[in-house]
Amino acid sequence: MSAKTVAAGLALLLAAACTGQTPPRALPGQTSAGGPPVCAEPPRGAPPAAETPTTIDVVEQAYLCILSRYYSGPTLDARTLLNAGFLAFTQELNRSGHDLAEATMPAMSGDRTADWAAFEKLYRRLTDLLPQDTKLRERLAATTLQAIVDALNDNHARWAHDLQRAPSAYDDEQYGLGFKPSLGPQVGGNPGTALPPLFVTSVLGGAAERAGLRPGDIIESVNGSAPFVGDAVTPAAITALYPRYPQADPVRLRVLRQDTGRRREVTLKPGLFQPDPAAMRTVSAVRLGDGVAHVRLRGFGPDAADRVLKAISRLKTGGELTGLVMDLRGNGGGSPVEVNRLLGAFAHGKVTAYQCAADGACDTMRTDDSVPLLGLPFVVLTDRGCASACEHFSAAVKDHGLGKLVGTRSAGAVSGPAQPYLLRDNTMLSFPAKHHLAPNREVVDRVGVAPDHYVPATAEDAAAGRDAALAKALTLLPGGSAS
Amino acid sequence: MSLKPLLRGGLAAGLVALAVSACSAPVEPRSAGAPATPSTPSGPAVLPAPTGARPVGATVLHLTDDSRADPWVPEVKARELMVTVWYPARERSGRAAPYMSVKESELTLKGKRMTGAPLDILSRTRTHAFADAAPAGRDGSLPLVVLSPGFTMPRTTLTALAEDLASHGYVVAGVDHTYENYATTFPGGRVADCVACDSDTDFGFGTKVSGIRAADVSFVLDRLTGDEPAWKGSSLIDPAKIAMAGQSMGGAGALAAMVKDSRVRAGIDMDGTTYARIPKGGLARPMLFLGSAGHKPGGRDISWDRDWKLLTGWKRWLVLPGGDHQSFTDVPLLAGALGLEPPGSLTAARSAELTRTYVRAFLDLHLRARPQPLLERPSPRHPEVTHCAPATKTCA
Repeated sequence: MSAKTVAAGLALLLAAACTGQTPPRALPGQTSAGGPPVCAEPPRGAPPAAETPTTIDVVEQAYLCILSRYYSGPTLDARTLLNAGFLAFTQELNRSGHDLAEATMPAMSGDRTADWAAFEKLYRRLTDLLPQDTKLRERLAATTLQAIVDALNDNHARWAHDLQRAPSAYDDEQYGLGFKPSLGPQVGGNPGTALPPLFVTSVLGGAAERAGLRPGDIIESVNGSAPFVGDAVTPAAITALYPRYPQADPVRLRVLRQDTGRRREVTLKPGLFQPDPAAMRTVSAVRLGDGVAHVRLRGFGPDAADRVLKAISRLKTGGELTGLVMDLRGNGGGSPVEVNRLLGAFAHGKVTAYQCAADGACDTMRTDDSVPLLGLPFVVLTDRGCASACEHFSAAVKDHGLGKLVGTRSAGAVSGPAQPYLLRDNTMLSFPAKHHLAPNREVVDRVGVAPDHYVPATAEDAAAGRDAALAKALTLLPGGSAS
Repeated sequence: MSLKPLLRGGLAAGLVALAVSACSAPVEPRSAGAPATPSTPSGPAVLPAPTGARPVGATVLHLTDDSRADPWVPEVKARELMVTVWYPARERSGRAAPYMSVKESELTLKGKRMTGAPLDILSRTRTHAFADAAPAGRDGSLPLVVLSPGFTMPRTTLTALAEDLASHGYVVAGVDHTYENYATTFPGGRVADCVACDSDTDFGFGTKVSGIRAADVSFVLDRLTGDEPAWKGSSLIDPAKIAMAGQSMGGAGALAAMVKDSRVRAGIDMDGTTYARIPKGGLARPMLFLGSAGHKPGGRDISWDRDWKLLTGWKRWLVLPGGDHQSFTDVPLLAGALGLEPPGSLTAARSAELTRTYVRAFLDLHLRARPQPLLERPSPRHPEVTHCAPATKTCA
């Protein structure tokens, strides 16, 4: 697979899933027993049909797809997947009050086909013993499939299913509590990254706005639970701040307003709200100080690089620029192609990353040298929300010394570009075939990219509307400190 | 249509933020049907002949709205629009109206990344309208239909429909929403490109674009029916009989225009996810949802189900299960010339025929008060078209 094909992978997730663009050519489809391909590419142009119930046949499809296409699929011990699946299955039985004496893991031989057959046979026998409850059966199959995907322990392996949208939602609305907490929803996947206190970073609208929350408010409890016990985060408390439709249970918060010392309880009901579109723009750019461009990029989506470059050239029409702050805080990633293109504005002829197969063979990704060099000193702002393609970018900047990184360590969520596959229940399974290494061949996944200058976001700064990381960045750029 | 539901939540770790920042704006499919199998280009396309008795004229108008800056390029202190008017003509004489210029063909195909055929091929498409032919009709007698194309598509991609309507006595105004396609040519040869394409993944993009389209249409109506008419045939238009139809984002624009401008008496949305907020009290004017397989009730795009409840007047929801997003445009008719298979399972000729038939039935019913059994129940002669019941999420 060429570097370009790999690069297309993550781009594809965006393109196919978001804009309905034509996905790249199919990989040669492995078929099971002459049936349809196990790893089917998502349909072209049109969205998939409505989801159908997940069954053990869908679980089998996901299992085979992972074994044939996942990064370590050809070599991994498939028993670990089946073990994880069975474990989750028994837990779900227990949760629903239907645990069965016969629910004991079957013996596994290490032969992938035979082990699946044994697993499936037992699965069917057990579910036949259960009451005729279609919801329960669906839940069991979904739980099993999810556990198999989770067993890969890969932050770019995911199963997108049962995604619902509020039936009255509009395009410019979001669903939730209406504020941004200082910790992201993924904290459960990497709890060691979370530092106290939990506070409100910004208020977007909806319930949070109505309740009068403000940036900098300290959240001392969530539904009665402390967000931190000592220094250890309580992931469930953080997750509760990110309700997804149709979750509609009100969330109770105890909130401390720092300047007044006032504590109060607020109850936020999840719902639709309209955030300010200006605050949501993928690219926004302003001129600061004597001529520093502050460009915020919220994702490496299609055309991201060109949009950034256009925004910079527009700022240039207002006078010469002396430096650039590339603000990637909260940038959740996107296409490696866009990363390579944007890096092409800062350096030519450089390796930006390697995409490596499990056997160690790597494709090399390079700067897009068709982009003219900007020739501006620049600083990159990063935080724990800078993930995936954002880390590809930041690691390349750091390894090549193209600019300084200011803020906090990045998310550590850059296993490799994910390729989506359509399962027969019209849900989407995606995972990487290759893993990412930064230009010095170091692993960034889970570790994250460390900033050159550590400037964390604090509740005090949030309350005062101060941006300490940006202020630090300006001191590092000519013409920046004058502001 | 939107895939937002697919990405809303459920994604672990790294791409959660991605889903929010890059994917939360539903974007109309950009590809012109993304036809699957390349074959040998067949030479220039010939549009199907109009089915009405009247000769058809076509003329191009350049309209400038000084009351607002361009929403895509705010440095431009006016919104300029190019509009093609198709209309019943006195006689079949003069030169055939061009489909698009060589430059427009080239830029459109490059924009669509379709470079398997000669880049001028679309400019050689054969039309049936006569350029600037003298209009025919009594003053105040002709109903007006505004047509709005899909995002990134030029107005000419609705020519087969426009010519047919004009041959049946409608004045048709096809609008290029400047900077929302790859090539809109102004007098003197200035070409506007797709500036809006730069932000089509932005959150709330659909709401923004459909709002811009509604404003464009109100301005076009001002200039076609107001005191200083921009077209020499303007006096023929009956300003009480105005409807709008559009494909994809154009359909979203039709609903948005209906909400904003009461002069638009009836609207057709051909396979477009909708964005405009219908007031809580409802919208009582007639609306037709005409969709392809992706727009069945209860599907992934919630927007038609959402709006259906707020439409309180005459309404229908028809779906062509074998249709494609582009079945309502000229794209299937152009596919052969581009060396591509027509998208969907309908032939190009049949998709054009069905689109013309159902759009005209709706307009004849609501602008001319002619009863249309076709819209009352499924038709044995049109088995490709199903009537949907959103309450039961079924189409038959």
